[in-house]
Amino acid sequence: MANPLLDFWLRLLGQETEDERRPSRLSRRLRRRIPRASEVQAEATIFLVLRRMRAPLIVLILIFAVSVFGLTLVPGQDPATGQPTRMTFFDAFYFMSYTASTIGFGELPHPFTAAQRLWVTVSIYLTVIGWAYAIGSLLSLLQDRAFRQALALQHFTRKVKRLREPFLLVVGHGRTGELLSRAFDELGKRVVVIDIDPERIESLELGSYHADVPGLVADARDPAHLGVAGLANPGCHAVLAITNDDEANLTVTMTAALLRPDLQVIARTTSASIAERMRAFGTPTVVDPFDRFGEHLGLGIRAPASYQLITWLESGPGATLPTRGHPPPDGRWVVCGYGRFGRELVADLQREGIEVTVVETRSEDTPGGVLGDGADPDVLERAGVADAAGFVAGVDNDASNLSMIAAARRLNPDVFVAARQNRPASSPLFAAMETDALLVPPELVAHEVYAQLSTPLLWRFVQEVPTRGDDWAAGVVDRLTELCGKRLAPLWKVRLDRSEAPALQDWLRSGEAPIGAVLRDPDERERRLDAVVLLVLRGDRCELTPDDDFVLEPDDELLLVGPPAARRGLDSTMLVEGSASYVRTGKRVATGWLWRKFQP
Amino acid sequence: MNLEKVVFGFFVLLAATLNFGFFIGDIGDPDLHNPYELFAALVVSLVATVLKFGDRTQIGAVHLATSLVADLQLGAAALAWTYAAHISVEGMTPAATASVVSLSGGALLANAVSVVLLVVETVTYHRR
Repeated sequence: MANPLLDFWLRLLGQETEDERRPSRLSRRLRRRIPRASEVQAEATIFLVLRRMRAPLIVLILIFAVSVFGLTLVPGQDPATGQPTRMTFFDAFYFMSYTASTIGFGELPHPFTAAQRLWVTVSIYLTVIGWAYAIGSLLSLLQDRAFRQALALQHFTRKVKRLREPFLLVVGHGRTGELLSRAFDELGKRVVVIDIDPERIESLELGSYHADVPGLVADARDPAHLGVAGLANPGCHAVLAITNDDEANLTVTMTAALLRPDLQVIARTTSASIAERMRAFGTPTVVDPFDRFGEHLGLGIRAPASYQLITWLESGPGATLPTRGHPPPDGRWVVCGYGRFGRELVADLQREGIEVTVVETRSEDTPGGVLGDGADPDVLERAGVADAAGFVAGVDNDASNLSMIAAARRLNPDVFVAARQNRPASSPLFAAMETDALLVPPELVAHEVYAQLSTPLLWRFVQEVPTRGDDWAAGVVDRLTELCGKRLAPLWKVRLDRSEAPALQDWLRSGEAPIGAVLRDPDERERRLDAVVLLVLRGDRCELTPDDDFVLEPDDELLLVGPPAARRGLDSTMLVEGSASYVRTGKRVATGWLWRKFQP
Repeated sequence: MNLEKVVFGFFVLLAATLNFGFFIGDIGDPDLHNPYELFAALVVSLVATVLKFGDRTQIGAVHLATSLVADLQLGAAALAWTYAAHISVEGMTPAATASVVSLSGGALLANAVSVVLLVVETVTYHRR
């Protein structure tokens, strides 16, 4: 919402639009249900530290007391009169304070007698020991691991509690989590991270994020840790369970579904049975990279331009246009590796009507396939790579995958190669291999999650793309490259309702507001705004890439892509009466009420 | 028998008794209020405060609060005594003595609350 005053009144009067997904106020009962036990643990650690400081502090107090008391008892002498004197408590305390702290102003108020010097010698050694003991204990406590963890937890809790804006709770800051945190940070969304590995949380501090990203080292399987990380916070609007551990993801999904049923949950898994178990709890969005890769590969073979468009849009603003692949000729495919990935992929390929030969080392897993190691040229020859159209290197070892590709290319230089990359470090090697399709599971998951969460209508658009055919997609890619070059411009969504576009309501209701007329520069009407409308959603019907004659109606939702200047232009047309009427009629109308009265 | 409880009870009681010893007597007569006793009361009160650190119970928190009040009052009394004996030209006048003793009287009240808490804690403790 661009107008802060409007926003303020809306908040005050409580007319919230439904799709904004504003964090609803949590009921008290619900909030109490979410445990936050670790906060108490943190407090306990600090109490423990205080307890451990008891002994050094008491020793210090007693040493001071004994030294001061002794000094007041030992007789001294006033050199001016020769009379015996005694130090008062004040003098003694003053002397001990500067002596014990090694400042040493000298013998005050009078030069000491031998008896006094004897006592002072004893007390100097005593106080040095006392200070060394107290300071040593304090420093070792500050270094204490449990204490530092408790401090970090308290710091984190405070930061999360103070978050007033909507944020995402990212569980697992591996490769996927890092890509997503960075992408959402770019979009100006806040992120809170939990990971079990301290190194990954430390990497948060090194990564240059725009906003502060609170991170906690904790096991997310404990609901109390999720509670501390803001599951109970009304600002939390989605939970991403994207650790490497399927079971942890399942637990997080369950926790979120049971304790905050209103939250959007996105979980990652590579196992179909875990995915089923996740779906038993509420309606989480489950992303399975192996399954999705099969669909992507199928789309890439059938419709390379659609695949190119989807990948580009899912990569986020600033992403460079991916190269369009060349579809392989029809024919048989050879798939090496029949594990979880291989099974999903073979099923997807067979659904596309492609004949598949499987190569696998375990005999019980090869139905009608070839038994053997895919890196062995003999095995590949037996599998018939020489006359195959496509080849998939899909085992869970990067070295094997790379050698398989090399062997397959030697047998058949023109074969279409799809590969699975397991470790991020191998990425330059796979890039040098120039595979035709590459699965990098963390990146695939990150793109899917981004498409679902970043802009509300993007996911809808992406799902509609495959139904429109390849020529249409190629046209869209051409329009986008014409608009913003090889780097994707930001996407945004507007809703032409009374709160977001008050200035356009009359025009929209008249039924004479085609897109080409609305998307005009409010400063210079002849210039069209550099924005492309990707999708118009009206009720449940959606229109993809409508042309300039498409007539807009009130309450339409638009997904646009274009530079920030275009967004500002459209915003002012939507909100400012003067701009809207200038764009509509070409006549400048005064913006102030008084001036409008005087205008003819 | 718990040695920690013995030490704790000892210091709480000693702080109260020393404080009482200093406080008792004609409020304006400097001869009846020995500065050594004030010093001892202050030191014991400080030790009692540190002994109460790190107790997480509600009664522990009140214990700590009363001790802090006593420390504050006795510290103020010691400052008043220092001012009267060293800085002011009149020395220990009955008025100055009265202010020192009345400050320690406030501390005595706090120490009395401490002792009451100690007794309450002991009485409500059931051996199972």
